[in-house]
Amino acid sequence: MRKAYLSIFRIRAAESFQYRIAALSGSLTSFLWAVIEIAAFTVFFKYARGPGGGLTLEQTVSHIWVRELLLFLQPYNIDGDLLGKLTSGDVGVELCRPLDLYWHWFARTSAGKLVVFVMRCLVCFLVAFLLPGGFAARPPASPAGFLLFVPAVLCAFLLCSSFLMLMTAVRTNITWGDGPMYLLGLAGGLLSGGYLPLQLWPGFMQPFLLLQPFAGICDIPARLYIGSMEPSEAWLGIAVQLFWSVVFIAVGRFIMARRVKTLVVQGG
Amino acid sequence: MKELRFYVRSLRLHLLGGVEYKGWWIMVLQVLVVAVTDPIGTVLMFARFGSVGSWSVERILLIYALAVTSYGLAESLFRGFDYFPSKMVRSGDFDRLLLRPRTLFTQAAVSYFHIHRLARPAAGLAVVFWCLARQNTAPSPRSLWLLVSALLGGTLVYAGVFVFMSGISFFTVGILDWMIIFTNASYQVTRIPLPYMPGALRSVFTFVMPMLVISYYPASVLCGWGEPLWKGLLALPAGAAFLGLSLLVWRVGVRHYKSTGS
Repeated sequence: MRKAYLSIFRIRAAESFQYRIAALSGSLTSFLWAVIEIAAFTVFFKYARGPGGGLTLEQTVSHIWVRELLLFLQPYNIDGDLLGKLTSGDVGVELCRPLDLYWHWFARTSAGKLVVFVMRCLVCFLVAFLLPGGFAARPPASPAGFLLFVPAVLCAFLLCSSFLMLMTAVRTNITWGDGPMYLLGLAGGLLSGGYLPLQLWPGFMQPFLLLQPFAGICDIPARLYIGSMEPSEAWLGIAVQLFWSVVFIAVGRFIMARRVKTLVVQGG
Repeated sequence: MKELRFYVRSLRLHLLGGVEYKGWWIMVLQVLVVAVTDPIGTVLMFARFGSVGSWSVERILLIYALAVTSYGLAESLFRGFDYFPSKMVRSGDFDRLLLRPRTLFTQAAVSYFHIHRLARPAAGLAVVFWCLARQNTAPSPRSLWLLVSALLGGTLVYAGVFVFMSGISFFTVGILDWMIIFTNASYQVTRIPLPYMPGALRSVFTFVMPMLVISYYPASVLCGWGEPLWKGLLALPAGAAFLGLSLLVWRVGVRHYKSTGS
């Protein structure tokens, strides 16, 4: 049985690797976006009157590049094919397969992310090291930090996939349209540190920001990379990631199971 | 006239279709939340670091909101062009537009419309008024005209971006991610105070795509930060010129159209 899910993962990954040029063009987009962000942050760090604090400029710049590296984990959009299946009624065919719908779609969702990672994010991140002075990405703060960064990224991958599956499960009720799903995605994007590194948010929010589910998607791995989280504290970050992954999987499976019972197959 | 009636009627149909979804108001809410939370990074940075020279958070937000409102209006009224590369060219649906006895421009513009997109200009406009009030700008016919011409010009500029994008999509068929630099990323540039903006960015967004002409210069004249009046009034002509050039690209694209899809 597990073999079937692995095959689905492999097929989907191979399929999406056909769109290399599109992914490379995405890489250029990430790149330009990051440069604008860095220019904006630099102005604040250099010319503003206030005290600042939270992160240094170098850490912020690296945080932005790590975010571009982890951009494939953006929790905004569910798998395009699955969305198409839900709206066109092809979901009926999916239900006929002798596979668990949740894990089947989980495999598809996570495989779709892989090409984006390699062709878009990795390319952009590596080029960032070649940039001049103030814009360049820097190597990780410490070897130990980097060794913990790698498992944290894997956990982020799990967390993001399970969150996207929760969104897919919510979207399975198609008469409600895209609204509820997007609202979830928006909360995820904002609280994952995508708009502003979470450690630059107001101080009193910090405990909440670290423990909420979305920090694990981008901010926790980035903290380990830039050294704003000590390697000795990494266990907490990774525990937070794993805890929320389990919660998302449990809730996603529960909603999916209920939805499937009352599913209305659309179209024909 | 006929075109306009066709445009309005199509909008109405899209509107009625859209509100059939039970959750349509959640989409309105969602775009509203996007529009409100989008500048949150900037606001929080100002909260942490204080003003940059004479550049307060109200200044930055005013310029930002002018650009966002224009973008939102263009996105609402010319939504079809925004979707054009992915929904029309790739699928070959454009063939059907060619067969109908209406201009391609109107048909393409109105091929999609989403009510929730109006949330963005609504939020943007609210921020514009808030910032103007905070900067003690007295309402007068002159400032009203400056504001209206900035928003009209801005809508034309962003409509121009969508039309341009649609025009070149005839050749590239998709793969237009990088155009985001002239749509959603362009108004992010306004977060950088102008005197500190890297020269390259400043030139691109003044002379290539006149985003600063429809946001910074009118704002500066409105609040008296020192730019001359004529620069503030350039918004409308610049917008018209930019849309005009984009229409040329679009026409070349249409002439080269070979059907795709199945």
